[in-house]
Amino acid sequence: MTIEDQLRAILCDVLGLDAERAAALDAGTPLFGAMPELDSMAVAGLLTEIEDRLDILIEDDEVGGEMLETFGGLAAFVKAKRGA
Amino acid sequence: MTAARGPHVLAYADGEFMLAYGSRNGPQLLVLQPLFEEMNRCRAMIAGLCRALAGRGVGCWLPDLPGTGESLRALDTVAWADWLAAVEAAVATARDATGIAPAVLAIRGGALLDDRAGSRRLRLAPTTGRSLLSDLRRSALASGGDPAHPAGYTVPPALAEALGAATPSVEGDIRTLRLASDDRPADHRIEGTPLWRRPEPTTDRDMEFVLASEISSWAMA
Repeated sequence: MTIEDQLRAILCDVLGLDAERAAALDAGTPLFGAMPELDSMAVAGLLTEIEDRLDILIEDDEVGGEMLETFGGLAAFVKAKRGA
Repeated sequence: MTAARGPHVLAYADGEFMLAYGSRNGPQLLVLQPLFEEMNRCRAMIAGLCRALAGRGVGCWLPDLPGTGESLRALDTVAWADWLAAVEAAVATARDATGIAPAVLAIRGGALLDDRAGSRRLRLAPTTGRSLLSDLRRSALASGGDPAHPAGYTVPPALAEALGAATPSVEGDIRTLRLASDDRPADHRIEGTPLWRRPEPTTDRDMEFVLASEISSWAMA
């Protein structure tokens, strides 16, 4: 699985998105503030699930801004963390 | 044979709360539940699963650990060693009642405690203590609460420290199930919903059926 596919699977699991919506996520898809399921509590679960499944650690001061703004921003953040 | 599906309420480990489902003849299964909020989120699913397993001839033992669920103890009085001792006591209660050492089903954080139960272990989506603590801390921050008392859980410092260092043990007869959407190592994957991530308690009947089949086959093998 690519990082993007792994993130799609995680967003599906955490937010309960159906497969169609998950498949439609692309780099420009807005996330926090635009996706009703992604409230601040869901962000907590999302970050932990990303840490567990993608084997990275996310510091509190890294959360917010571009990394949660769009799907592409989140993927770029994870890739940078993984050094990929 | 008409197996009483229960559940029956019984006490273990000095007044802690446990439910027992199904026949006491045949395979027996101790069910270690997820920890903290995940326990509440999975409660309906686990109750349904225990009923289904009882219907398939597997007796289930479902303890609420000290400071969790129906326990009368406050979580802030609980130490990690209390949970380990409670698991041992629950095993002993099931074994004394049936003459059979129960196999263990450990769900999520329950897998952090399952090595005390000894025998064969089946794990569903095991996780680490560090991950559970991160979740508690982030949830508290997200709700504007105090990270020291996340989501209404007063986790005493010593318990948090032990939990943070806890990982599922790797020794013994262990079979690990994960959801199909989770590509971490597993012995088998099932389609289903991570109910432990859902803010509202919910169920997934299809997953419950698949799990009941998988678990009963394993318990009877």
